[in-house]
Amino acid sequence: MSSANKPRAVYFALLAIPVLMIGLVMLQRDLDTSLSMLPRDRPELLLRSGTTLKRLSLGYDPLLADIYWTRVVQYYGSRVGLPKATFNLLGPLLDITTTLDPKLMIAYRFGAIFLSEPGSAGAGRADLAVDLVKKGIAANPEDWRLYQDLGLIYSIHLKDYQKASEAYLQGSKIPQAPIYMKVLAAVVAQKGDEMETSKLIWGEVYATTQDKLVRQKALEHLQALDAELDLKRLNQGSEDYWRKFGRYPTTIQELRDAGLSGEKLQDPTGHPYVMGPNGVPQLDPQSPIVLDLDKKIR
Amino acid sequence: MSVIPGIVAVNTFREAVRDRVLYNLIFFALLMMAAAVLVGGVSIGIERDVIVNLGLSAISLFGIVMAIFIGVGLVHKEIEKRTLYSLLAKPVQRWQFLVGKFAGLLLTLVVNTALMTVGLAAALFYVTRKFEGSDGTIAVAIYFILLEFAIITALALFFSCFSSPLLSTLFTLGIYVAGVFAPDIRDIGIVTSSSAVKAVAEGVYYILPNFHNFNLISAAAHKEAVPFSLIWQNTSYAALYVAVILIGASAVFSGRDLK
Repeated sequence: MSSANKPRAVYFALLAIPVLMIGLVMLQRDLDTSLSMLPRDRPELLLRSGTTLKRLSLGYDPLLADIYWTRVVQYYGSRVGLPKATFNLLGPLLDITTTLDPKLMIAYRFGAIFLSEPGSAGAGRADLAVDLVKKGIAANPEDWRLYQDLGLIYSIHLKDYQKASEAYLQGSKIPQAPIYMKVLAAVVAQKGDEMETSKLIWGEVYATTQDKLVRQKALEHLQALDAELDLKRLNQGSEDYWRKFGRYPTTIQELRDAGLSGEKLQDPTGHPYVMGPNGVPQLDPQSPIVLDLDKKIR
Repeated sequence: MSVIPGIVAVNTFREAVRDRVLYNLIFFALLMMAAAVLVGGVSIGIERDVIVNLGLSAISLFGIVMAIFIGVGLVHKEIEKRTLYSLLAKPVQRWQFLVGKFAGLLLTLVVNTALMTVGLAAALFYVTRKFEGSDGTIAVAIYFILLEFAIITALALFFSCFSSPLLSTLFTLGIYVAGVFAPDIRDIGIVTSSSAVKAVAEGVYYILPNFHNFNLISAAAHKEAVPFSLIWQNTSYAALYVAVILIGASAVFSGRDLK
């Protein structure tokens, strides 16, 4: 190769490479658009047996459990709140995580809440949540918090107040269990279906959990329950208004002017209550609170 | 058009076959057979997914290892054995030598991948007992893997023009890993409030070879259709990127004193 060719190759490179790079940037932008059209959110769980994974982990099962736990959080976080979100893999992922590390308490507590939650907030599989928490209790019989979670699933989601009371009572017998476990056992047995009981249960979850997502979910339930109690009271005022004036109020202000509204006219997130058709008070459409559909106002 | 690069390419391919690099196919065949037999026991309902994921991942991994470890030695070996001097004494341009070496290794990888594809198809048929139209995405995924090999081969060749095989391996591997995480590098710019970091992240995103573009393994496993635009865009992207690297390699190699 002649020496004259050397600079020629370098000059060619200096000219051609920038031009080609511009082409590459333009192509990459087109590719970004094309790739964004492909569904990238594909749930995958190739190996569903935690026991097999434990064997394959060659003794690194706690580390693998941590990786799977991270996957649980990512899986849930990427779906929660989406209109048609499904959580089919949440149960298997939590099962694998807790098989790899049976002492990973956060996984049981997370699963108790989010496997049970219906709608777009969870898997709506209270049965799987019960199985998971029972598995946790078998591996960690000294931890009263799992009994608290079991009681919550039975009372809030499965409406089985007898079993819920038994779970709270069983947990209250553990030496470190707080006194309110006994109180919950009694209250759930007597007044399980009342909103005040639900408030008590979620209030204790809110106070005792370390998990931010669980705490947020407990807060949302507490706010919804407060709003439900407020709406119930306003609805009673609306009925009184009808008896007094022979018609339903059309606005909350009318109810207030008649002295039948009480003091609380805003939901716990600060949005004012509004009057719906036939004098039925409602949440502001802008309010982030989601009411429990099981609990009718009237 | 000169036939010299073609002659160099054929000789490079013959040399690779002589060096028994295709022996990896035996391991691949054993892997696919074992997977096909065992998959039913561990992955209920997703046997096809496992075979496709495992097969495509193995094809990709084996090819990348071959592209890097053979690619980094392509020029170095010729200099060490002093065969390059007798070759360049003939009317062979240095860029022709590089293009020929690149094409030869790519041909080796194509043959290797084609044989692995046959193995994957056999394992898939053993598990599913049929082929479907949606299996076409697997062919596209394999084509994208080959495009990936082309860029990696060019990178390995580029580094081998001025560096030792060990350093070339590290450089190529480093760029490959960075290229796989290219979208994450761009995302650093999105989450930061610093415009400087954002500009740097975006610059790096566009300069690095974006290997994320070529990853269609999951789509193939889930029988998802791939838009045609993605095929030609990725083909053009790989062709342009290979051109950039080979022009750069030619510039560096032409300036190198081989005495």
